[in-house]
Amino acid sequence: MKNAMSVEDVFSSRLRIKILKMLTQVGELNVSEIARRLSVNYNTTSKHLKVLEDEGILQHKVFGRIRLYRLNERSSKARALQNLMEAWEHANKR
Amino acid sequence: MPQYRSIFKDETKLDIAYIPNRLLHRDSELRLLKEFFGFTLQFPSKMAQRVIITGDVGTGKTVLSQRFGVDITREANKLGTNLRYVHVNCREYRGNLFLVLHHVVSVFHPTFPRRGYSAEELLRILLQILDEENVYVILALDEFESLVDHEGSEAVYKLTRLQEIRQNKPQRISLICILRNLKAIEQLDSSTRSTLQSNIINLGKYSKQQLIDILGDRVSLAFKSLTVPEETVSLTAEIAFSEGGNARFGIELLWRAGKYADAEDLDVVTPECVRKAVSSIIPTMRKSDLASLSFHEKLFLLGIARIFKESQKAYVSLADAEQAYAVVCEEFDMKTHSHTQLWKYLQTLSDVGIVETEVSAAGNRGRSTLIYLPRIPILELEKELSALLEKKEA
Repeated sequence: MKNAMSVEDVFSSRLRIKILKMLTQVGELNVSEIARRLSVNYNTTSKHLKVLEDEGILQHKVFGRIRLYRLNERSSKARALQNLMEAWEHANKR
Repeated sequence: MPQYRSIFKDETKLDIAYIPNRLLHRDSELRLLKEFFGFTLQFPSKMAQRVIITGDVGTGKTVLSQRFGVDITREANKLGTNLRYVHVNCREYRGNLFLVLHHVVSVFHPTFPRRGYSAEELLRILLQILDEENVYVILALDEFESLVDHEGSEAVYKLTRLQEIRQNKPQRISLICILRNLKAIEQLDSSTRSTLQSNIINLGKYSKQQLIDILGDRVSLAFKSLTVPEETVSLTAEIAFSEGGNARFGIELLWRAGKYADAEDLDVVTPECVRKAVSSIIPTMRKSDLASLSFHEKLFLLGIARIFKESQKAYVSLADAEQAYAVVCEEFDMKTHSHTQLWKYLQTLSDVGIVETEVSAAGNRGRSTLIYLPRIPILELEKELSALLEKKEA
């Protein structure tokens, strides 16, 4: 079995946090759109998405040439992240 | 600060997006539509349905389809079928099949990208989504002419024959094509036409009485009680009838008239509010039309305007108009013209579109001609006529 990443490794990337925050807010997006919104290139985005998917936090669906990424609703890590993001946003608004 | 008063109870009931719980005077069409989809509802995977709804503007095509959509979705859910009704106005998407299909896909995946693939691929993607989620869709293509004009036969053919490329798979997409008349369909090639033209529901123009019922129903939902008199509803119905039996126009007119009443802090929506509303929607009084009237036609019209001003009625009888004309003649020191002559003047005023006439139903006192002044605010008309008559006299 592949070794799971430590929480600090997952959170060590600013881009990965941004991807998670974006998908928490929007629901699902394709790779090009995530790259566009983050102003980074396609390959970098794909690489980070793969890391998060390998970790079980994200999942994707393929429609022809389109890959749509979203949080993996069956993953307890994804649910915990979603709660964290929402609580954070909520606290910032107060 | 003074408290804001409004005669509205719930303005949203006059909004174009509102779907009434009951469709007045369209029950048989709604039943027919349900009949057409009866088998599809019972065995959704075995048969997809195609229905065409035609009718002029404001005859209830859209609302009929939407009401049906709400009802059939509820029925399907009771039967454990995952059915979605999706209503798309093709004109809003410039009649572009790709954009129309993208709208449908975005119902299931709201952030689905808009670039990088063709309409054919998008259709396949849509079917993939429906298969994966085991969903059936009734796709209502409103203003279908726009799609036909822009895309021609091929697009319609793709939509109607999509099952042929997926043998032995469940039928997923039924179509309701909504358009004004069948002329657009005639542009299609014969094989495409044959896939569409089996079930047609044509909606006729609403009668004035039907419009009164529809507007009365909306009044009870949208306005506070006793704020919209029967006369106002009747006048609005008359105008909507003259606009091709256009109920949507009448409903919008009611809303606008209500706004005029609120702006003037009135307790009721008077017929004059409706006239103001109409003149704000369509530029109706052309001064050149008034100027081109003969002197006595102007006198006669001034008499009519004055009765409306004094009575706040929606219509006046020809007999009352003749009396008012006599008073105006006296004022301008003119001899009155005969009843026959006035009848001809009335025809002219009607032809120009300033007044509308209707022969009342035979009652105890026989038939009489009723005169409506639906579009022009009375005060404006009186002012304009007085100015023209004084100029002539001078």
